[in-house]
Amino acid sequence: MSQAASEAGTASLLERAKGLLRRRGILIVLVLLAWIALGAVLKGVNTLALPTSENTPFTSVLREAAASIRGNRTESPAFVYFFNPIRAFVESFIELIRAVISLPSGDDIIPAVGWLGVVAIIGFVVFATSTWRTSLLAMGMLLLCGVLGMWTFTMDTLAMTLGAVVLSLAIGLPLGVWAGLSDRVLAFLRPGLDLAQILPTLVYLAPLALFFLIGTAAATIATMIYSIPIAIRITSHAIRSLNAGPIEAATSMGSTRWQLLTKVQLPMAKRTIALGVNQTMMAALSFVVIAALIGAPGLGKPVVEALIIRDVGDGVVAGLAVVFLAIMLDRATTAAVVRTGNFVHESGSARIRRRVGLGAAFTGAMVAVVLSRYELWAAVFPEQLIIGESVSSATSAAAEWITTNLYFLTTGFREVVTVGFLNPLESLLSNTPWYVTIIAISLIGALIGGRKAAAIALVLLGLIVLTGLWNDTMVTLAQVLIATVIVMLVGVVVGVLVGRSPRVERIMKPVLDAGQTLPAFVYLVPVLALFGPTRFAAIACGFFYAAPIVVRVVADGVRDVPSSMVEAATAAGSTKMQIITKVQLPASKRSLMLGANQGLIFVLAVVVIGGFVGAGGLGYLVIVGQSKPELQGKSLAAGLAILLLGVVLDRMAQAGAERRREQGSA
Amino acid sequence: MKKLATRQFGIVSMLAAAGLMVAACGGGVNSTESSAAAPAASTAASAAASEAAPAAAECGDWGVAMHAWVGYTASAQVLTNVAESLGCNITQTTLDEAGVTYDAMEAGSVDVIVEDWGGGRWQEWVDRGAIQEVGSNGNVGLIGMFVPAWMAEEYPDITDGANLNKYADLFKNSESGDKGAWYEGPPGYTTIGEKLIAANDLNYKIISTGSEAALIELFSAAAENKTPALGYFYEPQNFLAKVPLARVNFPANDWTDAEKASGLTDYPETPLQKLATTKLMESGSPFASLLTNFSWTNADQNMVALDIESGMTPEEAAQKWIDANKDKVDAWIAAG
Amino acid sequence: MTASVLAPAEGDVAQNSAISVRSLWKVFGPKADTVAGSPAADLSRSELLATTGCVAAVRDVSFDVAPGEVFVVMGLSGSGKSTLVRCLTRLIEPTSGSVLLAGEDVLKASPARLRELRRTSFSMVFQHFGLLPHRKVIDNIAYSLEVNGVKRDARYRRANEVIELVGLDGYANHYPEQLSGGMQQRVGLARALAVDPQVMFLDEPFSALDPLIRRDMQAEVIRLHRDLGKTMVFITHDLSEAMKLGDRIAIMRDGAVVQMGTPEELVANPADDYVTDFIRDIPKSHVLTVRAIARPLRPEEDSTGPEIDVTTIIRAATPVIIGAGSPVKVMEAGALVGVVTSDDVLRLIGTDGGDSQ
Repeated sequence: MSQAASEAGTASLLERAKGLLRRRGILIVLVLLAWIALGAVLKGVNTLALPTSENTPFTSVLREAAASIRGNRTESPAFVYFFNPIRAFVESFIELIRAVISLPSGDDIIPAVGWLGVVAIIGFVVFATSTWRTSLLAMGMLLLCGVLGMWTFTMDTLAMTLGAVVLSLAIGLPLGVWAGLSDRVLAFLRPGLDLAQILPTLVYLAPLALFFLIGTAAATIATMIYSIPIAIRITSHAIRSLNAGPIEAATSMGSTRWQLLTKVQLPMAKRTIALGVNQTMMAALSFVVIAALIGAPGLGKPVVEALIIRDVGDGVVAGLAVVFLAIMLDRATTAAVVRTGNFVHESGSARIRRRVGLGAAFTGAMVAVVLSRYELWAAVFPEQLIIGESVSSATSAAAEWITTNLYFLTTGFREVVTVGFLNPLESLLSNTPWYVTIIAISLIGALIGGRKAAAIALVLLGLIVLTGLWNDTMVTLAQVLIATVIVMLVGVVVGVLVGRSPRVERIMKPVLDAGQTLPAFVYLVPVLALFGPTRFAAIACGFFYAAPIVVRVVADGVRDVPSSMVEAATAAGSTKMQIITKVQLPASKRSLMLGANQGLIFVLAVVVIGGFVGAGGLGYLVIVGQSKPELQGKSLAAGLAILLLGVVLDRMAQAGAERRREQGSA
Repeated sequence: MKKLATRQFGIVSMLAAAGLMVAACGGGVNSTESSAAAPAASTAASAAASEAAPAAAECGDWGVAMHAWVGYTASAQVLTNVAESLGCNITQTTLDEAGVTYDAMEAGSVDVIVEDWGGGRWQEWVDRGAIQEVGSNGNVGLIGMFVPAWMAEEYPDITDGANLNKYADLFKNSESGDKGAWYEGPPGYTTIGEKLIAANDLNYKIISTGSEAALIELFSAAAENKTPALGYFYEPQNFLAKVPLARVNFPANDWTDAEKASGLTDYPETPLQKLATTKLMESGSPFASLLTNFSWTNADQNMVALDIESGMTPEEAAQKWIDANKDKVDAWIAAG
Repeated sequence: MTASVLAPAEGDVAQNSAISVRSLWKVFGPKADTVAGSPAADLSRSELLATTGCVAAVRDVSFDVAPGEVFVVMGLSGSGKSTLVRCLTRLIEPTSGSVLLAGEDVLKASPARLRELRRTSFSMVFQHFGLLPHRKVIDNIAYSLEVNGVKRDARYRRANEVIELVGLDGYANHYPEQLSGGMQQRVGLARALAVDPQVMFLDEPFSALDPLIRRDMQAEVIRLHRDLGKTMVFITHDLSEAMKLGDRIAIMRDGAVVQMGTPEELVANPADDYVTDFIRDIPKSHVLTVRAIARPLRPEEDSTGPEIDVTTIIRAATPVIIGAGSPVKVMEAGALVGVVTSDDVLRLIGTDGGDSQ
């Protein structure tokens, strides 16, 4: 009796929830219709469109500020005693590393250590920290960079990356440990860490250049700003997620706080922290490539050049070298992480074998270093081995073939998306009076994510209006939304496939790995070749950049659905499709929401780069300001607008996810 | 963590120490040995080594900014090759134009811009004493809006900017919507498209292109397929020799309407400027006097640019021109 | 029935206690320090939460542990026993009360003095072992010596002694991950013994182990206690474990001690329904001594039966009692306390488990 009653209660509750959802859906549609209708009536009114060359009061203020900062560079104490010394220190630090592996040293035309020496040293270090297998892989990857004819560029990038990582860790690890131990420190750092996750990389190049000018120092500092938050985040997480038992035990045995930290917490967190080092390194590498825009030496240079002269082949060759270097650094550090966590007693003979191996490897490395200083073939990567140009022309030919023969496919797809979706959406966003759009977005925010999401949207969008770049922001927003939808459509399909089938996962894993390690910058070149200087090219970039992470998050979600649920559904006679749509996808709803959120943020980060390929919007303004001092204020304001837009998107997506979760648990 | 780090650092520092020891033993691959056999080493160093190694100390290490367009590459490469023959050690750094590069010059990572179209944007840096104007490089630039030659033949009056509205429909595409597509120059280039459109009440929408290469592709396709295209271009640019374009000229507007007055009626002819850091100009380096004297014609530049575009490396193309024009090069050097 | 009735009175500090706990409180929540001594102290758990928003995890606990005694604190999960033992070592800071360790108030110790006490005077064994995964067995065991600044040779010497003591020979250079749960807890025991503490606190040390291993480890603790005579405070939720190991047992409920006494006292005179409920499954014959069923010799009975000591557990005495043809004489210090027959034993066994049906 009581059971029946409770069942009835659950049923009516479900009905009510469904009704609510349906009603919410209807309301959202109504808001959209009203928005579109008002947009049609008031088309072109109060759109706040602003010619590129014109400033607003706000951007003028920023421009003046930038000019005065520039004007103060030589004399102001802030520069003389703060920024300039930092710049000098960072620069000399990086130059020191470069002098060993990439810059001609002294009267020699080669660096202190030639290619053979570098390969051998890295092989030895990787062997010492992980396994000989990984060591071979690392050396192979380095050699491939040389074979592509990118040796010196690769060494520059390596020097920049290692230098930036060392400096980042020097700051990030202590802060991370501190934030791991103290709630107050974490609370203080958290807003910065959260912002750093949203802020597209391109945005802080310009402000940094104001203070550190252009060159290795500015590029390194920009890289550090990108990678330090990652180091802090993972380190503090590593400390916080430690098993409490051993810590309590060590406390009970009378450890001081310092002893607890150095003898218990840090050693136990070592593995996660090492993972943080790996992440920091990968982030630094991808940023160093982009930092070519502000004068970083290395592989970013040929990428930028290829982008400018639209040479797909050269771009791909440089991009491949980035990938090889990334694989090398990633595998080497990952293998070290695995070894780090290996608390297994080694037998005496194994230890001796390893010692002997290490000794031999060290001797070999030293011989190679000496050779690379005295023998030309070991100093300068042999010309006969270099096949970069053939790779480049083959790739260019392939791209040419695709653009001419698959013209209808690439152009067709581009036109369908542009005319069918992008233009109407952009028109709705940017040709409707700003206040209509803000109210409509806030209402939708309220319906999806509740009052808080609406308030955030209202306030932050209002701030964007104040920057004077409302119209450009809407142009960018349209591209971001379209790219996110495409990424989610593809990401869910592929993610489900990967999550369900280990075989598909095996095939896709290298692709996803490469996709995630490849700096976004690198595929601008082929995308531009395929789609021309259009907004769609920016959308495609966003897609390629965000797809791996979305696929991964969705696949993880599907995989984490308890197998008992799937078994039960199978036992009930569901088809494969029914299992996917009725069990696996609904059960991994949280992952889907997380994927959408990640997708949005990733897409935003790259759509901005689309300014390089003719996508207009905020990204274009950011770039314009690099060259034209009179528009630098606008460029800075555009960076701010991107940040605000990112926070709006992030918070609305999160509020939506939270609300869904609450309803799920209610 | 500590253990791992110590171990790794230990290894690395051990190696570093060993490396330094090896270095201290002297020797190494020195420049004369390697110049012939090591083409993959920096060309800068090998050229320096083969021709005038002893003078290296005199001239010094200098940075030349590289910009995106091939004409610039031609000028910068010729300058670089000649400088290296004087024993200078030149590093080329690719950067966006103007502001970014001026900052790089102020920071000391770049010393020379060989061709600047910027129209005085550098003034602030000159005022601060970081940069000096070094005069014109002899090239005269003319920016404009261009259409493919076939359009000028088929619609003779299209080269008059006042008639553009008549043909706006021809230029419509998915990027421009219901207006004509007006392909503007890359972000770093000097552009006044917005003002031209406003002043002449044109029914066109500006489409930003990310790069000059995109414009070249646009015009190439337009010439080949006989499709309409209206885009930003400039002279000197040897591309115009391969794919003829027609310049659309805008009328000198009647600026009676003060609100519309912008001071510009069309892109003017611009003598292209050389800029250098004060550090370089006051160093007494032969590179400084070389830069001061460096001057050539649009035709010279196009010749080198054409060779680069037809597959020579910039180094080869520059050297070819230098070898063929000994007298001009000697004049740059001798006058110093 | 409140704890204070059973516990030693306030101010009555036993002179020779290894540990002496008085009016110990641990209250979680806002203004936690105002609860003890106020009228709120007498409220029930839910009333306290409702009126003050506080939860009293330990309420007004007092007890003494004699040197060499095994004192067991037992209760269900949430009864406050784990919090209590952490308050004694100040892993959790108590709200009020006093904890005297050999006469010194641990709660008043400065941080430095507290560290010193932890390094030398008491040690702890944890339910989930709490071993340091990155350290070999020997370095785990030597940890507290190490943080106390003992030189490497000396601490390894000591660690090796303890390793032998707990039967870990040959495992000194293994990492904890490579050991079974039982072996890991041996490391835990060895670590606690390494400093030769005055008192050992064992917080449900065997709850995470399989039943068979648990039995071995209980035997191990009994053996170690017999050999070393350490004072132990042993926390458990397992009554049979408590009965097996404890010289005295304190039963906790909702943070307070409900009853305290020897196993025999508890089984013979459960203080309330809660305790009765607890002990209902315990076979009385396993806990009670023959004293509990001894009765005066009836005139008609034979007085030439064998003698047994009054402290003998009934179960252990049963073969003798059943085997004897006449009543068995229960002796205490040479004097006759009473006699028991097999009928008396059977009557007792007959009531065992009868309540639970």
